[in-house]
Amino acid sequence: MGNGLFGIGISGLNAAQAGLVTTGHNIANASTPGFHRQQVVQSNATPQYTGAGFIGSGVQLDTVRRAYSEFLDGQSSRAQAQASYYTTYSAQIGQIDNILSDPAAGLAPQLEAFFAGVNEVAAHPASVPSRQALLSAGSTLAARFQALDNRFVEMNRGVNAQLDSTVSAVNAYAREIGALNGRIIGARADPNQAPNDLLDTRDELIGRLNELVGATTVAQSDGSVTVAVGNGQSLVVGSRAFQLATVSSAEVPDQRDVAYLAGATTVTLTPSTLTGGSLGALLAFRAGALTDARNELGRIAAGLAQSFNAQHRLGQDINGNPGGDFFTLSQGSVSPHTSNTGSAALSATITSASALTASDYRLMYTGGAYQLTRMSDGTTTSYATLPQTVDGVAIALTGGTPAAGDSYLIEPTRNSARNFNLALTNPGAIAAAAPMRTASAAGNSGTATISAGVVNGPIDANVQQPVSIVFTSATTFDVTGTGTGNPVGVAYTSGANVTYNGWTVSLSGTPVAGDTFTIGPNTNGVADNRNIGLLGDLQVANILSGGTASYQASYAQLTSSVGNTARDMKISSEAQETIALRSREVQQSLSGVNLDEEAANLLRYQQAYQASAKVLQVASTLFDTILSIRA
Amino acid sequence: MRLSTSMLYELGMRGVQRPQAEQLELQQKISANRRILKPSDDPIASATIISLNQAVSVNTQYAANAQNAQATLALEADALGDVTRVLQDMKALVVKAGNPVLQNQDRASIGTEVRVLYAELIGIANRTDGTDQYLFSGYQGSTRPFAETAPGVVAFSGDEGQRLAQIGPQRRVAVGDSGAEVFQRAREGNGTFVTSPAATNTGTGVSGEGTIRNVQAWDNPGNSRAYTVRFYVDSALPPVTTYDVVDTATGTSMLTGTAAAAGPYARTFNSGNTIDMQRQATDPVATAFDAGIQLSITGAPATGDTFVVRRAANKDVFSTAHDLITSLSTALPTGPAARALYDSALSATSSSLGRAMDHVLTTRASAGVRLRELDTARDTASDLGLRYAEDLSRLQDLDYASALSELAQKQFSLEAAQKSYVAVTQLKLFDFI
Repeated sequence: MGNGLFGIGISGLNAAQAGLVTTGHNIANASTPGFHRQQVVQSNATPQYTGAGFIGSGVQLDTVRRAYSEFLDGQSSRAQAQASYYTTYSAQIGQIDNILSDPAAGLAPQLEAFFAGVNEVAAHPASVPSRQALLSAGSTLAARFQALDNRFVEMNRGVNAQLDSTVSAVNAYAREIGALNGRIIGARADPNQAPNDLLDTRDELIGRLNELVGATTVAQSDGSVTVAVGNGQSLVVGSRAFQLATVSSAEVPDQRDVAYLAGATTVTLTPSTLTGGSLGALLAFRAGALTDARNELGRIAAGLAQSFNAQHRLGQDINGNPGGDFFTLSQGSVSPHTSNTGSAALSATITSASALTASDYRLMYTGGAYQLTRMSDGTTTSYATLPQTVDGVAIALTGGTPAAGDSYLIEPTRNSARNFNLALTNPGAIAAAAPMRTASAAGNSGTATISAGVVNGPIDANVQQPVSIVFTSATTFDVTGTGTGNPVGVAYTSGANVTYNGWTVSLSGTPVAGDTFTIGPNTNGVADNRNIGLLGDLQVANILSGGTASYQASYAQLTSSVGNTARDMKISSEAQETIALRSREVQQSLSGVNLDEEAANLLRYQQAYQASAKVLQVASTLFDTILSIRA
Repeated sequence: MRLSTSMLYELGMRGVQRPQAEQLELQQKISANRRILKPSDDPIASATIISLNQAVSVNTQYAANAQNAQATLALEADALGDVTRVLQDMKALVVKAGNPVLQNQDRASIGTEVRVLYAELIGIANRTDGTDQYLFSGYQGSTRPFAETAPGVVAFSGDEGQRLAQIGPQRRVAVGDSGAEVFQRAREGNGTFVTSPAATNTGTGVSGEGTIRNVQAWDNPGNSRAYTVRFYVDSALPPVTTYDVVDTATGTSMLTGTAAAAGPYARTFNSGNTIDMQRQATDPVATAFDAGIQLSITGAPATGDTFVVRRAANKDVFSTAHDLITSLSTALPTGPAARALYDSALSATSSSLGRAMDHVLTTRASAGVRLRELDTARDTASDLGLRYAEDLSRLQDLDYASALSELAQKQFSLEAAQKSYVAVTQLKLFDFI
C-alpha cells in the first residue's frame, strides 16, 4: 500500500517535472522562429487489479507532442512564399518606377529641353550660340538616355548577383534539410516518439527555402521530406541534397540563368518553371518589366535617332554642306546561341522608326529556311533567304554560312539608348536650311508665284541642280535642268505640286508665257530655317508605333505601363503580406507560445509537483507510522 | 482564440509601423507639394502629366517664337514705313520738278534732294534685325542684299526665301519679305500698261497714266498688248489731228484692219479726250477690237508723232529713282517738244513711284496682318498656358487641406497604436507570480 503510494507520488513528481521542463522549454523558445509549442501527453497508468477492483497506480508519460497542423503550417508557408514573390518583384520594379518620372532623372524634361533648343535655332538659324545651345541640349539628352539605360544595365547586374546569392542560399538550405532528414530518420527509432525540435528546425528551413524558390514537399514514411523545385527536379531526397547553379545564358549575353545540376549535365530552368519565391520574382521581373522597359527606352532612342537623322540629312548646314547624321544610331544587337555550329554572322539595322517594335526576335535556321519569332507575341514567320526587313529592322547575313539548328537572338533596340549620342560636334553642322531655294525672274509679268519648296527624302543627288521652269503659255511650261529629263509642255494647274530632283514646289496664280521660275542651290542660306522647322515638328509628330505616338507619348506610355505594373505589384504584395500575416496568425494561434498560458502552466505543474511531493510525504508518514508501531 | 505572445508583439509593431510608413509618404508628398511622387502612385495621371508637360513646353515655345517673330516683323514694318515716306517725298519732288518755271539749276538741286532720298532708300533696304541679319536678304541673312554695282543699277544678292516662325500646330508665319519682291517687283505705269512718247516726237503731246476699262479684255490672249498710236495733223485751218492705232507687232491698223498707212486716219484727236482702245461705230474695221484700256494724251502731237502702248513690266524702285535723278540733273533742251517728253517722263515716274508705294503698302499691310496674327497667337498661347497649368495643377498638386487633415488623422492613429501596444504588452501574468 505504502509502496503503491510512493510509486504514484513519484510518477506524479515525474509528470509534473516533465511538465515544468516542457513549459520552461516553451518559455525559452517563445521567440524562436519556427518553434511549435510542446505539450506533455500523459495518461493514467495501468491500474492494479485487486479483489476490490482496480486501484489506480499513478500517472504515466506518453510523449511530448508539438502543437502542429500540417495544413496550417503549409498554408502559412505558401502564403509567405507568395508574399516573398510579390515583395521582391515590387522592390525591383520600384527602382524603375522611381526614376522614370523623376524630373531630375526622367527623360521627359530633357526631350522638352532638346526641342526647345531646336526651336531656338529655328528662331535664330544663323546664331552660333543658339546652335551651340542645341548641341548642349542634345548631349544632355544623350546623357539622360545613357544614364537611364545604365540604370537598367545595373539592375540587370543586380538581378544576376541576387540570383547568385539566392541560388547559393537555396543550396545551403537544401544541404541543411538533407542533413536534418538524416538525423530525423535516425531519431525515429521509435515511430511513436517524434523528434519535435528537429522537425521544427526542418520545417523552418523548408519555409525559408519556400520564400526563396517555390518548392513542393512530400513527406516520406521514414520521416524524411522530399523537396522538389521547378518542373519537379528533386532538390532533397532523404539525406541527399542536389544543387542548383547559375550559369551564363546560352542565348542572352550578360544574363545569368538558373540551372539544375543533374550529375554531369546542367538543365537550365526557365522562368516559366521557376515561378515562386524571390527567385521566381527575379526571373519574372527580368524577363518582363526590366526587358520591356529597356527595350522600350531603346525604341524611343532608336526612333528619335532614326527619324531625326532622316530629316536632318535632307537639310544643309551653315557652310552649305549637306546635313549628316545628328545622332548616332547603333546597330541592333545580334547574339549567336552558344551551341551554334555554323559560321554565319548577322546584322540587324534599324530602317524605320515607325515600324520598330520593342520586342526581341529569335532567328532560327532550319536548313532550308530562316524562322523568325517575334518574342513579344510568339509570331513566327519563315523566310527562304536573307536579307529581310521585318518591323523596321533589316536583318542581313554579313558573312559565313549558318548550320541547321543555329539560332540567333536579335535585340534591335537593346543598345540604342546606351549608344545614343551626338553625331556632330560642330554647331555649324546643324542642317537648319534646306539645300535648294526657289526664285522667280524679275521680269515675270504674270501673277504666278512659286512656293519655297520642300525636300523629299531620301535626298536626291540632283537636289541642288539649277532647274528652270519656263511658261510657254498660261497653261503649260517647260522644265530644264540636270536630272529633270527636260520635259516640255507640262500642263499647269494653279496650286499643283511640281516635283523633280527630290524637291516639291507649288506654283500658283496666273502665269504669262515667258514667266520663269528657277530652283537652285541655297548658297549662303544661313538664315533659312525650313529644315530646322521641320525637325522641330518632329517633337509632336506621331512617328513611333506605326505612326500613332510621338516620342514623348511613347515615353509616357512606358511610364504608365511601368507605373501600372509597380502599382499592381505593390497592391498584390500588400495584400499577400496581409494574407501571410493572417495565416501565420492562425498557425501561431495553434502552435505559438502564449507566455500567460505558460505562466499558468508553470503554476499548475509547480502545484502538481508540490502535491505529488505531499503524496510522498504522506506515504513516508504512513511508513513511519507503521515503523513506530514496532517500537 | 489562443494568441501567441510573439504574434501579439508582431501585430502590435505592425500597427505602429504601418501608420508610420503612411505618415512618412504623406509627409514627402506635402514637402514636395506633389500628389504623385512616382508613376505607380497614379499611372494614368503620370502619363497625362508627361504629355501635358510637353504641351506646356511646346506652347511656351510657340509664344516665344511669336514674340521673336513680332520683334523682327515690327522692324520690317518700320522699314517699310520709312520706304513709304521716302517714296512720298520723292513723289512730292516730282510734282515740284514739273513746275514749268523751274530753271535747269533748280531742277538739278531737286535732283540732289532725290539723290539723298535714293541713298536713304538703299540704306533702308539693307537694314538688319537685332542679330545682324539683313531684313530683306531672304535666306542669305548674312549677305548684304542691295548694292549699287553701277550708277542706277542696284543688284539684289539675296533671294526670295522667307524665314518662317512656328506659332501654332500646323501654323507658320513668314517673318520677313523678300527684298526683290518689295523693291524690285512693283509694276510701272498704272500697273497694267504704259504709254510712252517716242523720243523723236516733235509735237507737244504728253502721255498720261491712262485707265483700264475692262481687265478681262486686256488679259484676253487675243489682245496683243502692244500698240502704237500714230498722229497726223492735216493742213486745214484750224488743223484737224487724226490718229491710228497700230498693232506694234504686226503693223496692222486696228481701226482699218489693213496695213498701217500714212494719214489722215480714221479717228479725230482732241487734247484731253480719252483714246478708247476698242472698236467704235465709226471705225472702218469690221472685226471687233477691244484692248480694254483708255489712253490719255494731252497737248498737240505733230504729224508722225507716235506713242507706244505696252504691258507694264516690273520696275526696280531704285532705277525709277535714279532715272529721275538723271532726268533732273540733265539740262533740258529748249523747245516745247523736249518739254513734252520731259513732262511725259515725269508723269511716268510719278506713276511708277505711286505703284511702288502701293506695292510697299501692300507688303506692309500683309506684315500688319501677320503682326496681328502673332498677337492672337500669343494670346492663345497664354490662355492655353493657363489652362494647361490648371490641368497640371489638378493632376499633380497636392490638396493641402485634405493632406494636412489626413496627416493629423494618421498622427492620431499612430499615437493610438503606440499607446495600445504598450498597454497590451505590459499585461503579463508573470508580473503577478
